Amino acid sequence: MSEHDSGTDRDADAAPAAAGPCTELPEGWAYDAEASGIGVLPVDMFRSIGKPVKRREDRRLVTGKGRFTDDFSVAGQLYAAMVRSPYPHARIRAIDTAAAQEAPGVLAVLTGQDALDDGLGPIPHNPVPSTRFDVKLRAPDGAMPFIGPHLLLPVDKARHVGEAVAMVVAESRAAAEDAAELVEVDWEELPHVADSLDAMAPGAPQVWDEVPGNAFVDSAFGDEAAVDAAFAEAAHVASAKFHVNRVTAVTMEPRAALADYDPETGRSTLYAGSGGAVRQKRELAETLGLDPADLRVLSHDVGGNFGARNRVYVEFGLVLWASRRLQRPVKFTATRSESFLTDYQGRDLNTHVQLALDADGRFLAMKADNVSNVGARCVSLSPLSKGSGLITGSYHIPHAHLRARAVFTNTMCTQAYRSSGRPEVTYAIERLVDIAAEEMGLDKIELRRRNLVAPTDMPYRTAMGSIYDSGEYEANMDRAMALFEWDAIPARHADAEARGKRLGVGLANYVESSIGTPKERAEITVAPGGQVEVVIGTQPSGQGHETSFAQVVADMLQTPVERVRIVLGDTDKVSLGGGTHSGRSMRHAGTVMAMASADLLRKARTLAADRLGFPPEELDFTDGAFSHRDSNQTVTLAELATADAPLFAARTNEMHAPVFPNGTAICEVEIDPDTCRIEITRYASIDDVGRCINPMIVHGQSHGGIAQGVGQAMWENCPIDAESGQPLAGSLMDYGMPRADNVPFYDVGISEVLSPTNPFGVKAGGEGGTTPALATVTLAVLDALRPLGVRDISMPVTPERLWQALHAAPQATESRT
Amino acid sequence: MMYDFAYHRARTLDDARAAFRDADDAAYVSGGHSLLPTMKNRLAAPDRLVHLTAIPELRGIARDGDRLVIGAAETHAGVAASPVVQEAIPALAALAGSIGDPQVRHRGTMGGSVANNDPAADYPSAVLGLGATIHTSEREIDADDFFAGMFTTALDEGEIVTRIAFPVPDSAGYAKMRNPASRYALAASFVARFGGDVRVAITGAGSDGVFRWHEAEEALAARFEPGALDGLAVDPDGMMSDMHASAAFRAHLCAVGTARAVANPGRLTLLA
Repeated sequence: MSEHDSGTDRDADAAPAAAGPCTELPEGWAYDAEASGIGVLPVDMFRSIGKPVKRREDRRLVTGKGRFTDDFSVAGQLYAAMVRSPYPHARIRAIDTAAAQEAPGVLAVLTGQDALDDGLGPIPHNPVPSTRFDVKLRAPDGAMPFIGPHLLLPVDKARHVGEAVAMVVAESRAAAEDAAELVEVDWEELPHVADSLDAMAPGAPQVWDEVPGNAFVDSAFGDEAAVDAAFAEAAHVASAKFHVNRVTAVTMEPRAALADYDPETGRSTLYAGSGGAVRQKRELAETLGLDPADLRVLSHDVGGNFGARNRVYVEFGLVLWASRRLQRPVKFTATRSESFLTDYQGRDLNTHVQLALDADGRFLAMKADNVSNVGARCVSLSPLSKGSGLITGSYHIPHAHLRARAVFTNTMCTQAYRSSGRPEVTYAIERLVDIAAEEMGLDKIELRRRNLVAPTDMPYRTAMGSIYDSGEYEANMDRAMALFEWDAIPARHADAEARGKRLGVGLANYVESSIGTPKERAEITVAPGGQVEVVIGTQPSGQGHETSFAQVVADMLQTPVERVRIVLGDTDKVSLGGGTHSGRSMRHAGTVMAMASADLLRKARTLAADRLGFPPEELDFTDGAFSHRDSNQTVTLAELATADAPLFAARTNEMHAPVFPNGTAICEVEIDPDTCRIEITRYASIDDVGRCINPMIVHGQSHGGIAQGVGQAMWENCPIDAESGQPLAGSLMDYGMPRADNVPFYDVGISEVLSPTNPFGVKAGGEGGTTPALATVTLAVLDALRPLGVRDISMPVTPERLWQALHAAPQATESRT
Repeated sequence: MMYDFAYHRARTLDDARAAFRDADDAAYVSGGHSLLPTMKNRLAAPDRLVHLTAIPELRGIARDGDRLVIGAAETHAGVAASPVVQEAIPALAALAGSIGDPQVRHRGTMGGSVANNDPAADYPSAVLGLGATIHTSEREIDADDFFAGMFTTALDEGEIVTRIAFPVPDSAGYAKMRNPASRYALAASFVARFGGDVRVAITGAGSDGVFRWHEAEEALAARFEPGALDGLAVDPDGMMSDMHASAAFRAHLCAVGTARAVANPGRLTLLA
C-alpha cells in the first residue's frame, strides 16, 4: 500500500477547520464519469441491479458441497500441533524437544530459534492505516509506531496465554498432540497486565522493552483551543467513561491451513481460508523469504470471518515452513479451544467522552480520550483509526478534540472486528447524548433532531476532518421511528407493565466509514458460448459476492445473470485485490468491474464495427448485441468471442475517497425485574447503503449485523482474570452467543442516497446492522431500568449485571418489592 | 483429540462389571455427552470405555402402580416424548425436553446424568425433588442418600445405575434460569407435592450440587402457593459464584424459581 500526500491528510499537528459544509473537496474525491472510462451509467438498463436475485452460492453451501479449508487433504499429509504458553507473560529460558522428537510418528519439533536459523522474519502486518483519508496514528514522539514484531514463534518470551512457542509435526494429529505434551519449556513467569488502563499506570509490567509504559501510539487530533473555549462557555457538559468489551468472532469454521510443497517446481500451495488470499500470499511470502511466484494461496469457501481472518495467522506460516523443510504436506486445524484463545479478537476500547451544549441543547464541542487495547503485539490499528474519524457521530459538533492511544497488554491481539472501531464510538456518542438529554431535561429525540447533520450541509467535514459524502440523517430517524411504531410505545409500555415486565426503548443514529484497501482489479472474459468469467480479488465469507457481483456485470454487459461466473480466492488467477473488509467489496469491486466491462465493450464495439461494416460510434448496444439502425444484422458478445481470442478486459483501479453509510436503529426490550431476564421484543432499522445491488442480500447482511451487535451487548465477552491473567471464556460453555431463539424478527428498511464518490453510488451494507446495536440495546435496558434508579450498566448486559445494577441503585430497595 | 483408549460394548450387567474391573482405569459411558467432551479436551483419560446402553435391564419406561420407572439408558428425548411420562409426571417430561439441544437429548441418558451429578444438571433436581429410588446393579438407594456433593454420588466403584423409580406426585413443576452461554441451569427448582407433603430440590446453584430447600418445603406444606415463600431466602454462603451469577444472585434465583415452579405446576417455566 502506498502512502499519498495531499491536503486532506489528517496529521496530528495540522490546524483543523471547524466542522461544516465541505466547500473544498480534495482532488479525486468525487467520481469522474469521463476519467473513469465508464461514461454515464446506463441506469435505465439496470435489469438485475436492485432485484432480490436468489443467492447462487447457497445450494452448494447448504448441501454440504462447500469447499472449506479443512475439507482439503493431500496424500501423505502430516499434522501440526502447537505447544502453547500457559502463562500470560513468561520468559522462555529453554525449550527441551528431545522427548518429543523421540515420540512415535514425530517428524519434526520446531522452535522460534529454528525459524530464525532458517531466515524467517516477522509477519509484515502493516497495521497503520495508510490511505489518504485515514487519520495518522503515530508514536508519542511522532515517529511511526513500534508494533512488536510478530515472529511465527517467539524466542524471548510468551506475551499472552495460548501463544504458540513450538510446533510438533507428526504422522497423525493424535501423535502430534501427544508429542506436544512432551515438549518441555523452562518458563520464568513474569508479571502481567491485561487491562489497557492498568498497562499505562506507573510501574505496570512491560510487554515490550522497546515501549516503556506500553502506550506505543499517542496522537491528538482537532483544535484543542477552540474546544476548550467552547467548554468554558457551555451551559452544560455531559461526561462519561465507557469500556467497550472485548469479543471474539467464534467463526463456525475454525481456522485451518494445509501447505503442500512440490519439490519438482519448488512451489508451495497453501489452502487457507481468509479475508483475502492476495494479502496472505504477499505477507507469507515475505515472512518466509519466498519469491511470491513460488506461493499459491487458495481461499475457497470461508466459514465466517468478521475481520478475524483478515490478518495472517502464525500457523499458516508455520505449516508452509514445515512442509518445505520436510517436503511433505502439513495440515493444521485449530480446535475450538485454540480458536477462543488465539483467534484475533475484537473491540476492547476504553473511552472518556465529554460533550458541551448550550442552553438550547445545541452541541458546541466534544472531547474524547480513546485507549485501544491491541493485545501482545499490534496487528491492526484499524479499530482506533476508524473510530477516531467518527467520534462526533451523526451530529454537527463544531469543534472536537481527540487523544488516541494504543496500548500493549498480555492478551491476544485485537483486529478489526465487524465494523471496526465504529460501534465503539457510536456507543460512546449515543450514550453521551442520552445522558445529556436526561441531565438537561430534554427529549432524547428532540435533542438528536436539533443536532443532526443536515442534508443541505453535505458533503460535510467533521471536526475530525472526515468528509461525510451524503445522507439524510433526520429522514432515517423518522423512517426508523415509523417502522418501529414509535407512537405506540406508551400502549406497549402499559401492556408490558400489566404482565409484570418493564419496557425500555433505545434509539441510536449512526454514521460509519467505509474505507479499506484502495486497490482492486477485475478481469472479465467472454467465452464463445457467451459465458462470462469475472476474476476479482475480494473474498466473501457469506456475503453473496457470487450473486451480487454477477448482477453488476450482467447489467453492464446486458447478459443474463446466470451466465456470469465470479472467480475468487486463487492467487494463480487473482493477481491483485484488497480482500473483503471495511465494507469495501461492493464499492471497489462494483466500480472496477464496471470499468473493465466498459473496456470490454469498447473492444467489442470495434470488433462489431468490422463485422457489421459500420463505424463503431454508430452502433447501438442493446440486449447484449450490437446493431445498426440501417441494418437488420446484429452481433452478440458471444459471437465476437472465439476460442483463440475470447473477449477480455482487465482493469486495476485505485479509489481512496471513503463513503459514509448511515442510519438509525431502535431496540425495545422487556425486563423481568425478578429474574433479570432481558428479552429483545422489537428491533427496527433504516440503513442508507447507497445504491443497493441486491436488497435481499443487504437485508440478510443487516440481520446478521444486528445479531452480531446485539450479541456483544447482551452476551459475548472475553474477560480475563486479573490475578492469574487467564481468559475466563475459553469455550461456548462460558461465551454466550446470539441464537435463533434469543433474537427477534427485525424490521429493516433500506435508504438509497447515492454516494457521489463512485459510479454506482454504492456505500456499504451489513456493518450498519452492527454499528448502532451496542448502543440501542444498552440504551433500551437503561430506559427500562431508569425508574428503578439505574443510570449505568456495562456490556454485556447480562442478568447478573442487571442484578448488580439493581442492587447498587439508590432506589433499588423501595422499588423492588 | 482424545488419548488412546479401548472400547467395550457390554451386553449384560455382569459383562459390564467384569470389563470395568479388568481395566486399570475404566469408565462407564452411556450417552457420553459429559464424558466425551472431557476426553476430547484431554481432561479425562480412561484406558477403557465400557458402553452400557445395550444392556436390556437399562431400558424401558413403565408405570408401576404409584411409581414411574425409567431405565437408566433411556435418552432425554425418549423421556420427553414418552406418553407414559407425560401422563404421570408432565414436569419431568418437560424437564427432559429442556436439557441441552436435540443432539444432546438424543444421546444423553438419565442414568448418565444422575451418576455424573453435574451441579448444573437438570435430572438430579427431579430425582431428589420427587424422592426417587435409584436402582443399581447392587442395591436400591434413596435419592436423599444418593447425591453426595459436586460430581459425587453414593455409587461404589463399578456400580451401575440400572433404573430410577419416581413416586408419582399430585403435582410437580420445574422452573429454570439458564446460563446465558451454556444454557445449563444457573439455578433451577423442582417442586413436587404429595398430598400434604412438599419436596423442593434445587440444582445449578449450590456449591455442593443439588440440595433440598427444607424451609420452603415446610412453608409450602402449610400453604401451597407462591406467597408462602415471601420472606424466605436461601443462604448465599452455600451458593456457587462465577461470572454468570454471583452467589447472591443465585440465592435470589432459588427463591424466584421455586415460586414460579409452584405457580406453574405440570410444566417447565424458563426464567431465562
